[in-house]
Parts: sequence; structure tokens; C-alpha cells
Amino acid sequence: MSAGRIGLPFDEPPEPPEAAAPGAGAAAEPPARRVRTVGELTAEIRTLLETAVGEVWVEGELSNSRVWNTGHLYFTLKDASAQLRGVMFRSALKALRFKPEDGLRVVARGRISVYEPKGEYQIVCEHLEPHGLGALQLAFEQLKKRLAAEGLFDAARKRPLPVLPRAIGIVTSIDGAALRDILQVLGRRHPNLHIVIRPTRVQGDGAAADIAAALSAITSVPGVDAVIVGRGGGSIEDLWAFNEEEVARAIAASPVPVISAVGHEVDVTIADFAADVRAPTPSAAAELVVARKEEFGARIDRLGERLRAGVRGRIERMRARAHRAEARPGLAGWPARLALKGRLAAELTHDLRRLALAQTARRERRYQELRRHLETVDLRRRLGAVGGGLDRAHRGLHAAIVRTVAAVDARFRATAARLDSLSPMAVLGRGYAVCWNGGKTAIIRNAAAVEVGDAVRVTLGRGELACRVEDKAAD
Amino acid sequence: MDSTIKDFETAIAELESIVKSLEEGDLTLERSLELYERGVQLSRFCHARLEEAERRIEILDERGEIRPAPPALEAVGRRPDDDGGPERPR
Repeated sequence: MSAGRIGLPFDEPPEPPEAAAPGAGAAAEPPARRVRTVGELTAEIRTLLETAVGEVWVEGELSNSRVWNTGHLYFTLKDASAQLRGVMFRSALKALRFKPEDGLRVVARGRISVYEPKGEYQIVCEHLEPHGLGALQLAFEQLKKRLAAEGLFDAARKRPLPVLPRAIGIVTSIDGAALRDILQVLGRRHPNLHIVIRPTRVQGDGAAADIAAALSAITSVPGVDAVIVGRGGGSIEDLWAFNEEEVARAIAASPVPVISAVGHEVDVTIADFAADVRAPTPSAAAELVVARKEEFGARIDRLGERLRAGVRGRIERMRARAHRAEARPGLAGWPARLALKGRLAAELTHDLRRLALAQTARRERRYQELRRHLETVDLRRRLGAVGGGLDRAHRGLHAAIVRTVAAVDARFRATAARLDSLSPMAVLGRGYAVCWNGGKTAIIRNAAAVEVGDAVRVTLGRGELACRVEDKAAD
Repeated sequence: MDSTIKDFETAIAELESIVKSLEEGDLTLERSLELYERGVQLSRFCHARLEEAERRIEILDERGEIRPAPPALEAVGRRPDDDGGPERPR
């Protein structure tokens, strides 16, 4: 490297040898005194550096890297012994596939120049690539790490493929080998499948966006319940679209399981990590997405066979258990024992019946006895007793009534007698008489009440007299 | 088709679980026969489902329209013994 020409000796340079070449020393004329401005000198240095050093490749570790809001990247390249300031303008930075990060060992290509306002020389970087591995690989690693940290590749996110897809979606180039491979395998394995193809570009600028759009379109087709996305083999640049974040996110966002099938077995892409299933090749994807029709048939038949065997086994087990039960000593000869028991039971029944009959008869007799007792003895006597009671009561009542009537009668008689004694008739009976006026409307108590000649009537104890007043005398 | 069977996938799964319980479970004879009947139903459904679909290849274009794939693509993967005869009407 030409570092010696631009390297400035900040350490004190070693003393020049004492015995310098005599000729050289004598020949060195002191330079004419010429004063420059800082700007002039810096411009001279700049010209010197730009022409003498020009474009370089330089390797070092990135540090203090920072993208300013102008979009330019500023950084320092360093190694164990030195540092070099650098800038990468926005236009160049945009072309980078990976993200420049501190600590990264890089190789930078650029021109050495001087930033005059600060008097600093620096490299104006036109290209940056990771040391050791390619930029694409680094970009791959960086994106993979980032998406993994986000959980986009988590095993828990992986969905199982449908056993028998209703419709299979395919996202790939319409005229690529991959599509033919997939259709070939699918047709061979299953003669009656529904397949929907969404053609897309698979490489070049904008391919990633195309693939992402195609994925979102096909997963919304009704019936499509599994999707294969991929392409045939190619260089890492050819496959690059499948390493783009857009594609990974579209796969992760798919509502149905996605099988990635990019390139050959050795090609692993970000899409593979994001997919629910990674197929090593497009043909393999076709094999993964649906089993052979014959396999389905065989599987169902096997299940059917196991089903029948299961029921047969169930019945066999029951039969065996029954046999075992018969064979058990405690139960040996149970049918005979049962017959014996049957006879015993019959006898018992007979006995019971006899017993029951006897008891019924006894009960019957007892009942009859009781009935008779009730009818002949007890009831009659009791009824007689009750009747006697009634008679007595009746008689008592009668006597009481008679007594009461007699008493009332006696009182009546006494009262009547008293009434009799008070009756004027009774007095008349004793010789008194009552004198009425002629019309018998009033009793004459005073002689003045009549005149001589008046007719009067006189009531006696027995009968009446019609009389005429002949004379009268005051008291 | 039996309305209690949802789709091929669940039918296969149910059939598998029935077989498993018949093989392992200590079920009553009655229950075993019930399960057996159901299993036969399921396997008939699965066989029917395998046959009912027919090959159909379509293209979803950028406008979101679905049309049949061109004959060249359609022919890919057809079995050699397939005479390519007239399609049955759907």
C-alpha cells in the first residue's frame, strides 16, 4: 500500500545519521520563503492526495457510524494502529443490501479526499462490503436475526398443512421450470386437484413487491387453503427477492399455510424461515402439499380395517371374559347350580304358597270369628246397652217432660184458682149482684145515676133480672 | 352426505380417534357398535370426497380475475393413461 507516502510521522522521527552524505547536505539549498494561506495549502494537499492516492480499497472496522438526516453515512474506519474518517453519500448508501453497523469488519472502496473546512482527510466511500462474507450474506444474516428477534420464525407460528387441500395456490413465474415441476408432480399424485396459479416476477427490481402482492391476492381466493411460493434454482442474486423483508412479511401474514420452495436443496432463504413449511425444491413442495391419492385411499382402508378389527376385538374380549368367568372355580357348573336353585325356588314357592294359604285360612277363620263375635255378641250387646241407655234416657226425658208439664199445669191451676177468686162472678156466687144501666153498657155505682122509672138490669150469681127503678134514696 | 361430517380433514381425524378408542378403550359392546357404525359412515365419506373433485387449473391475474390456465399448462402432469376425453360438466 502507498500508506508511507501519506502517513504522517506523529512520533518524533529518528535523528538523521551524523555522517550524512556530504554531497547531499551541501546541495540542499534552503527553500525560498513562500507563505501560503491555510486554504491554499489545504487545497494543495487535497490535490496532492486526490491525484497521488486517488481511488483505494481499504479494510478496517466500522465505528462511530451514523446516518445523518441528510441521508449520508459518516463513519470511522479503524484498525489496531490507525483511524480513517469516511463518508458515504446517500445515493451510494442506498445501493447497499446490508446495514453498516459498528464493529463490522468491512472493505471500503472510495477516493481519498480532504474536507477543507476541518482540514481532515477522509475517504469518500462509493462501495462498502463486509469483510469475509459477501454483502448479500451479511444482509441475509442481519434480516434473519431481526425477524427472528421479532418472533416471525417461531415454531409456534407454524401451521399444519391441510390433509387434503380444497385448492392449492401457487405463486411463481408463469414460464419458470418450477411451475412445470410442481404441476407435473401434483398431476401425477392426484388426478383431481383444484390449482390456482398467481404468476409473478421472481427476480429483478420490484420482484419482492410483486411476490408479496401475489401472496396476498392468492390467499384471499375462496377455497385456497395451502400456498406454494417459490422459483427454480439460480445465483444468490437471482434468488434475492426471497430474502427480502417484504416477502417474509407477506408469508407470515398469510391466513393459510405457506410452503416455500426456492431454488435447490442448498439454497436457504428468509422466505424459508418465514414459511410454515420449507420445501427443498418446488417438486418437493408439490409432494408435501398433498399425499398421493392412493395413499389417501390406503389410509382410509387401513382405518376401516382397524375399525372392523377393533369391534371384533371388543367382542372377542367380551367372549373371553365370559369364558374366564365360567372357568372360575367359584362359578364352576353354574348352570346346574342354577337348575338346582330353580328347583329349590319352586319348592320354596310351593311352601310359601301353602304357608300363605294356611295363614290366609287362619286369618279367614279369625276374621269370621271376629265377625261373629261382633255380630252376635258384642255388637248386639253393645247395641242393647245403648238401646237400654236410650230407653232410660227416653224415659227420663219423658218423666222430666211429664214432671214439667205437671208442674206447669199445677201452677196454671193455682193461678186459675186465684183468678177465680178474684172474678166478680165468684163474688156474685157468694150473694152479691151487679146493677147495670138499661143498655148494660155501664155498672151503676151511684143512685144519682138513675132516675125513677129507668129500666136497669141486675146480674145475679145465676141469671139476670130486668128491673125498674121505683124509688131512690141518697146515702 | 351426512350433515354431521364437516370435511375430509375432520372426518379422517374422527375416524382415527374412533379406531383408537375401539382399540384401546374399554367400551360397552353397545358403544362399540355405535362407534363402528359411525366409523363406517366416515370412511365412506372420505372415499367419496377423494373422488368427487376434478382436476382444474386456473390463473389468477393481476386484476384479480380467475380464468382457466392455457392448454399448454393444463396438460402438464396429466397422466399418460388419461385419454383427455371430454370434461364432465360441473
